Amino acid sequence: MKTNFQSPQQFFRQRRLRLGIVLAVLLVIYGVSMVLVNFQTLASLMQVPAGLIWLFKNFIPTERSISYLGPILYQLWRTLIVSVSSTICASLLGLIFAILGAKTTSPLPGLRLVIRFGASLLRNIPVVAWAMILLFSFKQSDFTGFLALFFMTLGYLTRAFTETIEDLDGEKLQALQAVGANYFQCVFCGVLPEVASTLTSWVLYMIENNLRDATLVGILTGTGVGFLFNHYFKSFRYDAAGLIVLLIAVLVICLELTSTQIRRAIA
Amino acid sequence: MLKVIQLDKTYGQNKHSLKDVNFTAQPGEVTAIIGPSGAGKTTILRSVNQLIRDNGGKILLDDQDIRQANKSELRKIRHHIGMIFQNYNLISPLTALENVLHGRLGAKSTFAGIFGMYSTDEKQEALALLNEVGLGEYAYQRCDQLSGGQQQRVGIARALMQHPKMILCDEPIASLDPKSTKIVMDILRQLAKEKQLIILINLHQIDIALEYADHIVGINSGEIVFEGPSQAVDDQVLQKIYRQADQPKQAVTANEN
Repeated sequence: MKTNFQSPQQFFRQRRLRLGIVLAVLLVIYGVSMVLVNFQTLASLMQVPAGLIWLFKNFIPTERSISYLGPILYQLWRTLIVSVSSTICASLLGLIFAILGAKTTSPLPGLRLVIRFGASLLRNIPVVAWAMILLFSFKQSDFTGFLALFFMTLGYLTRAFTETIEDLDGEKLQALQAVGANYFQCVFCGVLPEVASTLTSWVLYMIENNLRDATLVGILTGTGVGFLFNHYFKSFRYDAAGLIVLLIAVLVICLELTSTQIRRAIA
Repeated sequence: MLKVIQLDKTYGQNKHSLKDVNFTAQPGEVTAIIGPSGAGKTTILRSVNQLIRDNGGKILLDDQDIRQANKSELRKIRHHIGMIFQNYNLISPLTALENVLHGRLGAKSTFAGIFGMYSTDEKQEALALLNEVGLGEYAYQRCDQLSGGQQQRVGIARALMQHPKMILCDEPIASLDPKSTKIVMDILRQLAKEKQLIILINLHQIDIALEYADHIVGINSGEIVFEGPSQAVDDQVLQKIYRQADQPKQAVTANEN
């Protein structure tokens, strides 16, 4: 191995030069794309305050909107249930796919490719597209929303679980093989205990994520809190729509806090 | 007795990793394999329990050729060969006790293994083994909370749980401080003497090898260059074993060109 002699000054000068070039390239890309889409940075920024003021005036929940609280909370509950159940179902199936598809645990190399490809296909179709496709077969129902979230989550979690399992030190599994453990024993006594806490983190993250997505999907499938939002919004009851946004935010934050606590407890 | 006869291993085409390796290891003795990095120490050790598949030769453990075993026979043979590693390779979120119980997996049905169905006797034995290596009070601690030396002792207890005829040790002390090194090596020597086990160790540290091993196998670029009692190892032998490592690097590359 030959290394050219370099003084520290030269080394750090090169580092700075490289950083400078990256920044310049980013600026040029921004400039070019601005010109291409005819976007005027300054003018757009000037409009933001007025827009915000309008938003606050109309979307702040009023006393009247409190009367909608009952149906809103009921739909919010249903949305939560759909997102939690779709995530749990997807994670169970995703775990099986991940074990079959991960480099370290796959029993068949051919299977790996199929699972990788399938997961990437599921993942790369946006959840909104899933909902619209599934609408044809399953009509406007909670089940359509469930399936849309399920497919997207399955693709996402299969990928995440696969990578978690592949990150595991293969030597640990060799140690169990050396003991005389067979394939299933290696997976259940070695792989699963090692990855359990990371996997749980992923599932919790997906539940948070799916609650947000479920709202969007609900607008399309005509169910849950998303539908209610759309309904109030289109009938100019902005205060009630605002209340929904507020409640969703509160729920998501609560969910995040809970899952942070759970993650900390199991880490 | 472990008898390795004409063991051969090639990686890719014509890249010999092991060439005609012959040696024996006796019960009741500590046998150390020493040699420069990349000489093939780990390959030998992992061929013995077939974690690495070799290309030819015989590996006889009590006159049974491990290389001829089919899948289920191999599982049975492995059940009686313990193995400990440089990185301990315990399942770290599990407790010390659970890791020791893993030593029974080779004797369990798939179902019983998966659901961790161990008998009371097995649990008692695991606890006793942890006491034996001085870790009784850590039985219910997660393994990632234990120090390196403690984890290695859990690894030894796991190997003992297999009721082994032989324990393979792949650089067992390479990550340990001198104090833990002494504890671990003392345990291994004691096991060889008291339980009449075959202890086969890969070592980097010549001084430790000479202090603890009864029998030394010296290997250099895939070939056995010395085999004999540790008393017979002198400077001349060591020079032969570590020959290439001491040569300046430029000379080696010049030869390759």
